[in-house]
Amino acid sequence: MRRLILYIVLILSISCVSTAQEKTGTLVGRVVDANSGEPLSGANVFIRGTFLGTASDVNGDFRIRRIPPGAHTIVVSIVGYQRQLIDRVQFQAGEERTLNVQLKPIIIQTEQVVITASRREQSMEEIPVSVSTVSAEMIADRNIVTLDDALRYVPGVNMLQDQINIRGSTGYSRGVGSRVLLLLDGMPFITGDTGEINWETIPTYQVERVEIVKGAGSALYGSSALGGVVNVITKDIDESPRLQFRAYSGLYDKPRYSEWDWSSKRRFNSGGIVTYSDKVGSFGYLLSASRSVDDSYRENDAYHRWSLFSKVKYDLSTFSSLSLTANYLARTHGNFFWWKNLREATRPATLQVNGKVRVKRGNLGFAYKEFLSDQFFFTIKAMYFGNFWQDDSAGQINNTSTSHLFSLETQGTYEISTSNILTLGLAGHYDQVEANLFGTHPGFGVAAYIQNELALGAGTKLTGGIRFDAQRVSALSLVAQLHPKIGMVYAPDQRTTLRASLGTGYRYPSIAELFISSPINISDIAILPNPDLQVEKSLTYEIGLSRILSDHLHLDAALFKNDFRNLIEAGVKIKNVKRAPNDLQGVDRAVIQFDNVTKARIQGGEVGLKIQWLERLLSTDLSYTYIWPWDVAESRVLNFRPRHIFYGSTLLTWERLRAAFDFRYVSRIERIDENLVRLAPIIHGDQRVEIKVVDVRASYDFAVLEAPFRFGLNVNNALNYHYVELIGNLAPVRTFFLSISGIL
Amino acid sequence: MRNTLFSLLAIALLACDGGLALPPDVEPGFGGIIRFAPGTWPPRDSLNNLWLFASQIYPIDSNKVFAGILGSPPTIFLYPSIEQNLPYYEDSIAYSFNVPPSTYPYVGVIQRFADDLNIRSFRVVGVYATSANPPAPISIVVRDFQFVTDISFTVNFHNPPPQPF
Repeated sequence: MRRLILYIVLILSISCVSTAQEKTGTLVGRVVDANSGEPLSGANVFIRGTFLGTASDVNGDFRIRRIPPGAHTIVVSIVGYQRQLIDRVQFQAGEERTLNVQLKPIIIQTEQVVITASRREQSMEEIPVSVSTVSAEMIADRNIVTLDDALRYVPGVNMLQDQINIRGSTGYSRGVGSRVLLLLDGMPFITGDTGEINWETIPTYQVERVEIVKGAGSALYGSSALGGVVNVITKDIDESPRLQFRAYSGLYDKPRYSEWDWSSKRRFNSGGIVTYSDKVGSFGYLLSASRSVDDSYRENDAYHRWSLFSKVKYDLSTFSSLSLTANYLARTHGNFFWWKNLREATRPATLQVNGKVRVKRGNLGFAYKEFLSDQFFFTIKAMYFGNFWQDDSAGQINNTSTSHLFSLETQGTYEISTSNILTLGLAGHYDQVEANLFGTHPGFGVAAYIQNELALGAGTKLTGGIRFDAQRVSALSLVAQLHPKIGMVYAPDQRTTLRASLGTGYRYPSIAELFISSPINISDIAILPNPDLQVEKSLTYEIGLSRILSDHLHLDAALFKNDFRNLIEAGVKIKNVKRAPNDLQGVDRAVIQFDNVTKARIQGGEVGLKIQWLERLLSTDLSYTYIWPWDVAESRVLNFRPRHIFYGSTLLTWERLRAAFDFRYVSRIERIDENLVRLAPIIHGDQRVEIKVVDVRASYDFAVLEAPFRFGLNVNNALNYHYVELIGNLAPVRTFFLSISGIL
Repeated sequence: MRNTLFSLLAIALLACDGGLALPPDVEPGFGGIIRFAPGTWPPRDSLNNLWLFASQIYPIDSNKVFAGILGSPPTIFLYPSIEQNLPYYEDSIAYSFNVPPSTYPYVGVIQRFADDLNIRSFRVVGVYATSANPPAPISIVVRDFQFVTDISFTVNFHNPPPQPF
């Protein structure tokens, strides 16, 4: 540890000296719309191969200082416009150059840059797999409080409450294991004990964008990337001092039936966040605090949440930077597992009436990035993710768990030539779990990966990669494995891209699945550990087409097939259980145990259309996903998967007004786990319908003393449609939100 | 393009059906017909009581029968009630027995043939069971808001099933 600190101090000292000695140039300019001449606010302008960059202000103006003398490539980009590269711009020491940039408007998405598919920046048309993104603007427009809500309109994604399914990959395993890997700024963000995703820990307001890669991704990311990868990328620190705030207040409407109107009081969902950031020379910092209080539309489902987030970034030189992030969350939440019955759908089952869950989570992140040359870029990242929770009933503590997860990763990207890019990295993790349900267990893993991207000419590009992982938990045997991937992109013309890929995935069972042990659970059934669990495996094939059909119409289509082996599920079985340590005979009784039970095949197709019309006044996004989820082992439809997913959204942008209409349809889940319903028991747990939800929203931008403000109105579930995503859990009723945000 | 928007609106408006509906407020229980084998009814003086019973426990410990009936909560339920009897000398009786949601592994008709309240004054005269010989009781699962129908069986006072106690 002391060596690490000394190293950091040394780097800082060297960089300060070298920065002081540099005589540099400055770039100033303006970014405008090539058609209308209107200035573009928020356009990213940066010097390729360095960390120098900025975003244009409300007048489209920008200024970049400290540019080393020599020839540089300037990159200018903004969503909805064609990215522009200006090659070999010469800078002399002390010179100020002016560069005015005109960007051509294009269909949204095709020019977007993403980093998750290949662990480096790429535009969408270079990627051999299906990727969707959610922007910061969309998160703000939809008044997203926890990030899972932002994923409800992503093509091919459906949420079972807070559990994400990418093209039907996950199904449902309440709070244990995730078949989708969540990354925070590229680092795994899955809890050490249960291996689940905690969406609430993500600082939603600090998110720049979310990238969703569909299909197995273990060849680059390792365990849990069985059905896909979700990468949350946080915002960079602004160049100028900023005080930002956002406040919202929501009101739950009454449900359609008076039997569900359990409270005589109005139920609110309110919160706010304040962020201050500044950059002094090479040093930037951001501090943020937020508070959320949700009364909930259901009894014993309210929560109170505090969270703090900070980020510090130091540009050691033009070519290297160091950043530290810290994030902390504390929450108290009612313990609503499932309803009492459908006639009392907003009241919890009797056993859960007085239960509470208390949670404290936090993460510390470190990232060092350096361009060693124009061709070689490397990063070193480390993260600690701590997680504590306890549940209690009527003040008596039932279960507690504490987990500590340390991850370390280094990656290099070497541009051997403009047509040949090599990415390689090493990763490791160590976790420690202490829980009354799971016991005390350490775990560790190491990995190495390599990927090569080769442009063959004639619009063809090949990608191949492989990752080696070795993982061990407690005294169990070391599990080592290799996971390859291969992909191809072919662009026969400028408007068309064809893609094909084969990816592999695996998931090492979580400590909870391996070691959970409880004499009785909430249903009075014993839960037994199963340290013999094998890793889950998947194989994804995909072919896709992306085509600009006209200047206002973009089509993306894909056919996919996922084969899964050794899927872990909790099952009920009859076993001989000892009533006491000296009970030699034991007794036969029903128990719950995780086991590798299912072999499955999920195949289907996905079509997405983006339409812009009336001079870009209106834009429409449509997507349809067909999923055929088949349990090969049992010759029947898989549990908890829908067959059809359709999302539609139309956005009106007129001067300072933005108004949108969103519709989502998810077909009725065909099969659920009948044993869970029967044994829990969840009364009316089999009751479910198709999901048909309409959300509407509008926002208006205005200025007070030249400070920009935005006022928003959202009506979620505008038609007050009643449905369940998860058995026994009525989804939120119609909710009205008012919000205001601003920058001072 | 305009058609696309209208189609989208039309699809959305189809959502107006409201989704999940309130289920009927059904009192849980089970029902059916009890048939009495012709010519087997005993004399009136041995019919002190005649009840349909539903027990959550099987086999039954003879020492715990009264506790099962009178305990709180009870584990053995009687129809029509502890004060009332099934009608005598009928060929068949249609019944609707409301019981708490549970599993009832032992359902049948019990007769008190003597005046005293000793357990030896009771005998089971019919059981909801398989047609095997001897018949094996069939469990009835009653869930919340569920009324199980077609729980029908025959009582033969001359050929009672194996006694549980």
